[in-house]
Amino acid sequence: MTPVAIVGMAVRLPGAPDLAGYWHNLVTGVDAVTDVPAGRGLPGGRGGFVDADVEAARFGIMPNSVAGTEPDQLIALQVAAAAVDDAGGERRLGDRSRAGVILGRGGYLTPGIARLDQRVRTARQLVHTLAELVPDLAEDQLSAVHSAFTDALGPDQADAAIGLVPNLAASRIANRLDLGGPAYTVDAACASSLVAVDQAVHELSSGRCDTVLAGGVHHCHDVTLWSVFERLRALSPSKQIRPFDRGADGILIGEGTGVVVLKRLADAHRDGDRIYAVVRGCGVAGDGKGASLVSPEPAGQVRAVETAWRAAGLDPSAADSIGLLEAHGTATPAGDAAELTTLRRVFGDGDGAVLGSVKSMIGHTMPAAGVAALVKAALAVHHGVLLPTLHCDDPHPALAGTRFAPLREAREWTGARRAGVNAFGFGGINAHVVLEQVPGAAPVAPPVVTEPDRVLRFAADTTDELAALLDAADSDLRAAGPGRGRARLGLVAPTAKRLALARKAVAKGRPWRGRQDLWFSPEPLLADPGAKVAFVFPGLEADFTPRVDDVADHFGLAKPVVSTNGVGRHGLAVLQVDRLLDTALRRLRVLPDAVAGHSAGEWAAMVSAGVHAPSEVDGLLDRFDPASLQVPGVEFAVLGCAADRVRAALPPELVVSHENSPMQTIVCGPAEPVAEFVREFRAQGVLCQVLPFRSGFHTPMLEPYLAPFRAFAETLTVHEPAVPLWSATLAAPFPPDEAAVRDVYLRHLLEPVRFTALIRALYADGVRVFVQAGHGQLGSLVDSILDRQDHLTVAASSVHRGGLDQLRRVATAVWAEGGDPDFAALTRRPGGVPVDLSAGLVSLGPAAAGLLPPRRGAAEHPPVAAPDPLAGAAGQHPLAAELNDLLRETADAASAVLAATRPERLRVSLETMPYLLDHAFAPQREGWPDDTDRRPVVPATTVVRHLTDAAEKAAPGARAIAVRDVRLHRWLVAAPATDVDLAVRPAGRRQLDIALGDYAGARVELAERYPSPPAPWAVPPGRTPTLTAERFYGERWMFHGPRFQGLTELTAVGERHVLGTITAPAAPGALLDNIGQLFGLWIVETQQRRRVVFPVAMREFRFFGDEPAPGTRLRCLVRVRTVSDTAVDFDAQLVLDGRVLAEVTGWRDQRFDSDPDTERAYRVPERNLLAKRQPGGWYAVFEQWPGLASRDLYLRKYLSSAERDQYERLPVRARRHWVLGRIAIKDAVRGWLWDRGAGPVFPAEILVREDGTVTGCYGFALPDVRVAVACHGELGAAIAGTDPSISISGGSPATLVNPPELPPRQYVVTWRENREQ
Amino acid sequence: MSSEPAGKATAEGPVFEAVSVHLRDILGEYEADDVEITPDSSFHEDLQLESIDLVALAGRLREQYGERVNLAEWLAEKDLDDVIALTVGQLVSYVESCR
Repeated sequence: MTPVAIVGMAVRLPGAPDLAGYWHNLVTGVDAVTDVPAGRGLPGGRGGFVDADVEAARFGIMPNSVAGTEPDQLIALQVAAAAVDDAGGERRLGDRSRAGVILGRGGYLTPGIARLDQRVRTARQLVHTLAELVPDLAEDQLSAVHSAFTDALGPDQADAAIGLVPNLAASRIANRLDLGGPAYTVDAACASSLVAVDQAVHELSSGRCDTVLAGGVHHCHDVTLWSVFERLRALSPSKQIRPFDRGADGILIGEGTGVVVLKRLADAHRDGDRIYAVVRGCGVAGDGKGASLVSPEPAGQVRAVETAWRAAGLDPSAADSIGLLEAHGTATPAGDAAELTTLRRVFGDGDGAVLGSVKSMIGHTMPAAGVAALVKAALAVHHGVLLPTLHCDDPHPALAGTRFAPLREAREWTGARRAGVNAFGFGGINAHVVLEQVPGAAPVAPPVVTEPDRVLRFAADTTDELAALLDAADSDLRAAGPGRGRARLGLVAPTAKRLALARKAVAKGRPWRGRQDLWFSPEPLLADPGAKVAFVFPGLEADFTPRVDDVADHFGLAKPVVSTNGVGRHGLAVLQVDRLLDTALRRLRVLPDAVAGHSAGEWAAMVSAGVHAPSEVDGLLDRFDPASLQVPGVEFAVLGCAADRVRAALPPELVVSHENSPMQTIVCGPAEPVAEFVREFRAQGVLCQVLPFRSGFHTPMLEPYLAPFRAFAETLTVHEPAVPLWSATLAAPFPPDEAAVRDVYLRHLLEPVRFTALIRALYADGVRVFVQAGHGQLGSLVDSILDRQDHLTVAASSVHRGGLDQLRRVATAVWAEGGDPDFAALTRRPGGVPVDLSAGLVSLGPAAAGLLPPRRGAAEHPPVAAPDPLAGAAGQHPLAAELNDLLRETADAASAVLAATRPERLRVSLETMPYLLDHAFAPQREGWPDDTDRRPVVPATTVVRHLTDAAEKAAPGARAIAVRDVRLHRWLVAAPATDVDLAVRPAGRRQLDIALGDYAGARVELAERYPSPPAPWAVPPGRTPTLTAERFYGERWMFHGPRFQGLTELTAVGERHVLGTITAPAAPGALLDNIGQLFGLWIVETQQRRRVVFPVAMREFRFFGDEPAPGTRLRCLVRVRTVSDTAVDFDAQLVLDGRVLAEVTGWRDQRFDSDPDTERAYRVPERNLLAKRQPGGWYAVFEQWPGLASRDLYLRKYLSSAERDQYERLPVRARRHWVLGRIAIKDAVRGWLWDRGAGPVFPAEILVREDGTVTGCYGFALPDVRVAVACHGELGAAIAGTDPSISISGGSPATLVNPPELPPRQYVVTWRENREQ
Repeated sequence: MSSEPAGKATAEGPVFEAVSVHLRDILGEYEADDVEITPDSSFHEDLQLESIDLVALAGRLREQYGERVNLAEWLAEKDLDDVIALTVGQLVSYVESCR
């Protein structure tokens, strides 16, 4: 085969707006799969999504025709043009009549077609159905509905209809880029992109084309496409795409576009092109009638791969034949298994080669999947970096038989750089491409990735919630989108260290403003309606090295000419940079409420305020020759002290020109006395610097040179300021009338800059956010003036980084203080027209009002009667009569529609659910009067029971046969009592979505009879558990009381399973709860730490029979799927007499902080202490529950309701130590009691009053005892006695050190029990 | 005479500790471990100090060690590149040399 070179590439893929972004994500392992973004018209779920825009003007597209054009055509055009740019521009295309375009594209219901379908078919269908349902509607009413519906779709663009012809995805590129070779799309399902590449290689080999743009395009997140894959059972029910993981359960759908520019290798060499990689071989083969249309088949795959390697003249089974295989890797069990079989057959076994699937990061991009994989492999070959694959936590067993293994992290590619790329399509079409490093290529320098700094934003209503939000894995935080809420945190360039710092800053609850690129504001400054934002514009400073060219490029503004050669040019450059950043900040929607400037910066402020028109100023400056500017040859010296001290020592030749801050003053005068003055002050230890420019601005010495400035002042028109303009001469706003403005302008040149007074005046006026709109160190002056007064200073330019990245920091900082900057302005191409990728449900909006006559009858909804709900309802509800006819065959669904409008209310209390006393988290003394202190909680499985009951009630006669996607959002607590709405909504055929308030929700599937059960799982070999059922409950390894205790035999436990017998208890949900308890045994038997677990989600329960009567004995086998530090997933079967009665898959428990030190007190708090007794009789407790959620579990065991009220009233930052102190006190007192022979004492029985003194709670007789407490770092220490005292400080010699898993810290503790000691 | 290598003495000596404390204070950090200060930390690049911060540091060191520690004089002898590359260790050595 003629070798073909990849000379240009471009992509738009989830999380990657361009090639650089894609590479960054690939190297760092970014998971770009997200929840469905708002407005996409999908019912929910997860996938890979892109935002797109098109540079309409660049391609000669009318912006108003963008809406009527199929989005993928515009995106393909944009990406193809970017690929050509990447290849070196259009001149590199050579003879355009011999340049082609071949793109993979599927025939799915893409958004453009879907919107046309809505306009043409759905609008008619709507009116048709409406006329049938309500026969007395008049023609004009129906026509009004039709119009309202089509109007809601936006203007009809019949002339843009050509934009909906599917092959235009390729043809439009040829048209806009003027390419005369063949341009067409190919559809080979998921193999489309590589089939396109194969075609391109043929075009090049045959000589018909010299250049081909090849790739794939797929932008179709349509309900129909999702539904197709759901019906094929290919969508991941766990909503995670985990290629080659043992637990892989399907795909998530992605979207995207990629284009590569291909030339014959010899031509690329001749033209001196940059070559990413060489295509050595391509192979395409079909499955024939091998298997079914939807099952992957190794035979066809093997032939495709072998053909490609044969074309390359290479032996795939040779030892070092391949370093990387970018697999099709769809994460469907059948697909992964077939592909691994193929790999084993072609490449044999061995080791050392890397297997990847980018689908783990972006989802399955369908026809574009091949090009996403090809670009990934080409980048890996080019940079010599082997790339990671996500979510392959428990590798597929068949991997062991191949020479491949996935990577967790990127690493250097040391061996021969040859890669294979797979793309296999439904229907049995398989393609493979062999890539190789360009022969004789010089080693590529280590990749330098230059891409925008990432910005992470988090918001919550309270600091506590923010802390809870941050209490997640770094990778989750990196993938999270900005939330809403008052308390905000923004982080730029997030490293693990910075994320740790962010958590710490939030835990402390104090604002953090800018160091380490972190901004956190628990009480955002701009949330106060009186708070203002000021722009302060810098003037001339000693160092002037702005890096703002990228800002000018991005916003399409003139680049400043940066020069410090002469005060004229320097001043001009400062003004240009100030004004550029002023414009950029405003485009970023960072807007000033006041503007001011330092020295020459005041002129920029005048333009910013609109006092002088920018165009007029530009015209004047264009005619101004900076070299001609005459100024006195006097020098400035910056002195590191206050103006008073300078003036007191000032010789007559010198004057103060700038009062910069209490720590900085500038003097001006002739060189000799300036030097003398500097010597004198230095000797006193004052930092001094003579500035590298001379002028005499802001001193009377400028007077003789004033003429040209006066000319400026007199020429320029003075307008009313649009934003208040402040003067540094007056330290007040400019006066209103024109003559006075000109006067202040001239005084500013001759009088000192009173910057200190100006900033204080702005602060007094309410300015809390100071944006340095220019380059320099003005911001640090502001900080030095305002010192500890609450404010934010942020600079729009920094020597440390490029301009756009610095603007990201400004936006982040302002956002954290409650501002609303437009972050997208930093990524959006200027002139880019957004492309709408949605085709969701159409809402008529306000236009709906009055279209139809109001319904007859009462507004009251009738009760739905069983067993024939429609017959009962028909008499009372006007719509029900029509529904009765229309929907008779699906009576249950119709009933559900009615039920959905009338949620049932569930009373959750110990009166209605007395059995919850046996499902209470915090044990208390018998007869304890306050049930809230016990924290009785509705078990997850009882929630599930309520959901199935509600579903069966809504569809009488039907049985709940499955419950899917059980989500448990928060604890549902029964004391105090609470009322929760049970909302039922139909969700497709025989399915109901049921929500229990905002506590929990799930989808319930109904049927008339139970399906036949699957076979019981085989039981793997295991050992006898250490614990018996009796000890398991007796020692309170499980907190459950008798009404929830069902485990009667603990049979066996193994590395990944546990087997036991459950005797069904009577309490609702208790049977299924015992599955979780049995899993709890596995945790206790196999894990050492973090053994406290609670369920958070269950993917699916399936039922194959009615719940057995209480007392029935069932066998239960739990199979553990995945175990991480934070969560555990398992499946389980309940088996009755050899028949599976219920099966659960994807039961997820969250793990909470616990270790052997804390566990005894957690389980049996009345007999154990969290604190440890220390020599000398004091008690020390370490905070070994760093997470907020864990802290909550511990504090519930210790605090009574009165104490919890105190806790809630505390400022967030004080809570940690307060809890630690309360625990220490209670344990010191309980230890003191036990020393004196007391029996069990629950922590809540010791009431610690607000003032820290102790007494007995609810009748507990506590002898007279006093306590002292101290907290420091993670240590709480307390002592009980007649007159005790205790204190802790950090340092050595240490009394105690933190346990190993806590931050390294030492404590010196001093104490005494009684004052006399 | 101490037989300790000079680097170690600087890294762990009381002057380094004192300078670190002042720097953290000036940087406004909450806690010691929020910013890593080592003898190799540069004022400009690592700690991102601006000129006004040096003024504050000079004042503090003078207050603590007396007039012999004169950052103003010491810095005046350096050219701009030297000042930009200045490290905490260099400052500590200077302060130690004044005592």
